[in-house]
Amino acid sequence: MRSPRISLTVASAAIVLLASCAPGSSSDGSKTKQADDKKLTYLYFTDGPDEQATRDLIDQFEKKTGAKVNLQIVPFDNLEQRLQARLSGNNAPDVARLTDITPFRADLLDLNKFQKGALGGKFLKGADAYVTGKGGELLAVPSDLTMNGPLINVDQFKKAGVPLPDPKKPWNWDEMVKDAKKVQAANKTQNAIAMDVSGHRFSTMLSQYGTDFFDKTGKKPAMDTGKATAAVKRFAELNASGTMPKDLWLQAGTKYKAANEIFLAQQTPVYLSGNWQVSAFAKGAKFSWAAAPNPCRKTCGGFPGGKFMASFKQSKHQKLAAEFIAFMNSEKSQEKLAKEANFLPTRKDLISSGVKYPVRDADMQTFLDDVKRTPQAAYGSAYSPAFGATADASVKELAKVLAGDSSPKEAVEAIRAAAQKALKDAQ
Amino acid sequence: MTSTARMAPRRTVGPAVPQSGHRKSVNRRRSVKPWNQRVAPYLFVLPNMLIFGLFVIYPAINNFNISMYDSGNGRDFTYVGGGNYQGMLSEAEFWSAARHTVVFAVFFVTLTTVVSIGLALLLNQRIKGRAFFRTVFFLPVVISPVVVGLIWGWIFERKNGLLNSLLGAAGLGQPGWLVNSTLAMAVVIFVGLWLHVGFYVLIVLAGLQGIDSTYYEAARMDGASGWQQLRLITLPLLRPTTMVVVILSLINGFQAFDYIWTLTGGGPVGGTTLMVQYIYEHAFQSPVQYGSAAAAAVVLFCAVFALTVINYLYNQRKESA
Amino acid sequence: MSLTALRGSRDTPDARGTRGTRRWTSIGDGPTPTAGRVLAYAVLIGLSIVVLAPVVWAVLSSFKSQSELAQVPPSPLPSSLRTENYTGALSSFDFALYLKNSVIVTVGATLLTVVINTMCAYGLAKYNFRGRNLLFLVVLGTIMIPLQLIFIPVYQMAAQLGLVNSLWGLIIPPAATPTGVFLLRQYMLTIPDELIAAARIDGAGEFRIFTRIVVPLSGAAIAVVTIFSVMWRWNDFLWPLIISQDQSKYTLPVALAQFNSQLVAPFNYILAMSVVSMLPVVIIFLVLQRHIVRGIASTGLK
Repeated sequence: MRSPRISLTVASAAIVLLASCAPGSSSDGSKTKQADDKKLTYLYFTDGPDEQATRDLIDQFEKKTGAKVNLQIVPFDNLEQRLQARLSGNNAPDVARLTDITPFRADLLDLNKFQKGALGGKFLKGADAYVTGKGGELLAVPSDLTMNGPLINVDQFKKAGVPLPDPKKPWNWDEMVKDAKKVQAANKTQNAIAMDVSGHRFSTMLSQYGTDFFDKTGKKPAMDTGKATAAVKRFAELNASGTMPKDLWLQAGTKYKAANEIFLAQQTPVYLSGNWQVSAFAKGAKFSWAAAPNPCRKTCGGFPGGKFMASFKQSKHQKLAAEFIAFMNSEKSQEKLAKEANFLPTRKDLISSGVKYPVRDADMQTFLDDVKRTPQAAYGSAYSPAFGATADASVKELAKVLAGDSSPKEAVEAIRAAAQKALKDAQ
Repeated sequence: MTSTARMAPRRTVGPAVPQSGHRKSVNRRRSVKPWNQRVAPYLFVLPNMLIFGLFVIYPAINNFNISMYDSGNGRDFTYVGGGNYQGMLSEAEFWSAARHTVVFAVFFVTLTTVVSIGLALLLNQRIKGRAFFRTVFFLPVVISPVVVGLIWGWIFERKNGLLNSLLGAAGLGQPGWLVNSTLAMAVVIFVGLWLHVGFYVLIVLAGLQGIDSTYYEAARMDGASGWQQLRLITLPLLRPTTMVVVILSLINGFQAFDYIWTLTGGGPVGGTTLMVQYIYEHAFQSPVQYGSAAAAAVVLFCAVFALTVINYLYNQRKESA
Repeated sequence: MSLTALRGSRDTPDARGTRGTRRWTSIGDGPTPTAGRVLAYAVLIGLSIVVLAPVVWAVLSSFKSQSELAQVPPSPLPSSLRTENYTGALSSFDFALYLKNSVIVTVGATLLTVVINTMCAYGLAKYNFRGRNLLFLVVLGTIMIPLQLIFIPVYQMAAQLGLVNSLWGLIIPPAATPTGVFLLRQYMLTIPDELIAAARIDGAGEFRIFTRIVVPLSGAAIAVVTIFSVMWRWNDFLWPLIISQDQSKYTLPVALAQFNSQLVAPFNYILAMSVVSMLPVVIIFLVLQRHIVRGIASTGLK
């Protein structure tokens, strides 16, 4: 170190020089220069068979418009990070499929500018507030509705001599746990019940226990400490006793992780997930299975969710992107996607006419029955702008409880605090 | 940093070239140096320094700058001064990542140093197959850390992993290696060691070769035992090398990320989330917090820098004592 | 000393107990095997197994079918050397493209690194100019600031220069490795100044001296930097994870991590591709390992 003085002077001079200017350039998307080529990038995550249906629709769109759509599939647990990186690197995709639009609100394109006629007022009312911007912009289109619910291994239930639950007269939590344990014992499976590592799935349990993160407007925290603590306690007990696979939650850390492999490997007779698994299981399961009604506690029904399609102010193909979103969510396209991927439609016309599913129609009806049983407050929570962040926090807090680092009560307090903060951040 | 110069090449086509050789450079009389010799060095260093400036120096300084801004989801920056540092210091996640990084680094550096010196001492004996062992120990260094994490994660898997199926067959139980935080941290440290130690073995071997054999001959003449030779000759004379190993493994340990990402993903419950992952997640998880991520990077850099300097000074003192 | 020893072992490919290795200084006792010696072999062999087992296990398993992989307890050997995992992964998951990207980035970045590092090292080693010591100190100091630490501002810079989501973005930013410059400079210091002076008297230009005299004489050090660069760029993960945003720009490690994280691709494919990603560097290492040994011996810096 022979000339520290010089290097220090230079370094400090450079710091002074640099500190005077802000580190980033803010980009105002409304002025993004539009490109002439007809190329779109569609950032996508998949649950399985929806990929092929999407590709087919893309083919149709390409034939119709002469455009070229580049489908980019990323793992769901890395989707948000990658999208954030793309946005801050000024490399936004033209269209993205999202479950939570809140973190990207400021970046989303107003679809009304291009496709008001095709998209305005066509989708289920519950999502309206969520996808509408402060100035009435249409920031995203709900592209499919999801309903959480259990899937059961029918072979294993039969072998154990346990009757299947009646879709019209739902079982309750105690019955479900008791039955699942019986089936587990008879089949020697590793677990009785498995749940995806997801705050969204846990919200289902919360709702059944009679409370939600937010009220039905989605703008006020409304979680009842007593009821939520009861749910967390039950969840912790189920995991501690090995009824549920504790490892799955602990190992996933804070990342999303599906439990579908455990179900497919026939290591759990009951799997708490949702309708998007139906088509994948129809193809991949080597045993007979069925959708089961959601278990009741204080209330019945499941928990709604959905995917959205949106474009970005940074997009260089805004018009074409909006056209693509309109095409993918036209009556015909949504019906095709719904049929082939066993999705639930979001268009009012399709909801009222109903979709007849070519495969596993009965299972889809079970989910649809639960849609009707689901309380309004669940919709309020699901479409709250603060839902995503709160759900993530709940995964973290639940993992802490399972690891023995905190008590159910502490977890509930922490989730409540996270909900408060998420609401504040979302404003 | 002069210590590194001590490890510098002694190209031995004859006696070692004195280290100060570079000071009497090609042309000492500046006044008569033709213009092309005056311009040439700048042209030679230019391309490298240009990239260096753009992608190392400027960003390194800019990092301080960013750490004083609130990044508003990555798109609008507002000056907040020390706000990010304050916020970070009151955040449980930061302390968790910091604690895990320290635990990891302490074990990683200590074990790396001890194991690499131990292995190098073993290899420095008259051992048959020395080249083979050296090659084997170095092999993991060249393998992609992502792949290393994948493979070990698969071996340590609780139910169907190789290790637990062997343990289970032997009736030794099936510990949840990646499920229990303490075990997971131990696994991460072990895999880190597995991945890197071969590199340090080579450094230590080179250091051992630099010790003049006459010391040992003299010691044997005086009837010193092998242990005494080790304690009184080898380890003291190896100190500069040991310092290099400690400093390098420190820098290495504080930036561990890639193999952990595929091994544990930072789990369970953040039990193996180290600082680099913390920075990555703050930078790209919503809401994007470039500012606090940059602040964490500054803290991490300061820690590495301080420890390096302390280590250096400590060794200087030992040496002069 | 160290290099003489290594030279010795290089002269004799079979380094076991031949003339070359005997020149290593040793603190061992006589030639008779002692308890200590036996223990030493036991430790070395035991650790070798720990090191090799997972690699061998992965390679063997990469030939197994999905059902063989799921078998409990696992069988050590695959039922047959079926290459379906390799062909399947290459054909159905664009792994061939990721392999190509990895090759382009590794070759491109290594060429760039070697050229600019060598030039820079020469400038720093053999010229006396204003700011030389400062530049050298800066190079040394930045060994402590790896890209892992400051990737946010580097990413911003890359974005401003339009390098995001392009292979150039993977090639250029990490190219100016401080380690490479340091290593080459140290090596070049030992080239006698008289050689260069003589060439000047003969009327050779500065650049000609560099290409005709300095580069050939620095072959060994250049080889080391080449090997390191190949290793680093081929195995890079964090930076490509950030920069390679389209699937068409993925490198092999990014693709492996992304596909594994949600089992987009079945594990037997992931395993096969992991082996593919290991092979080139392992082969290069085995062929050129004595250069690596020498490189590390000569600098002690990574």
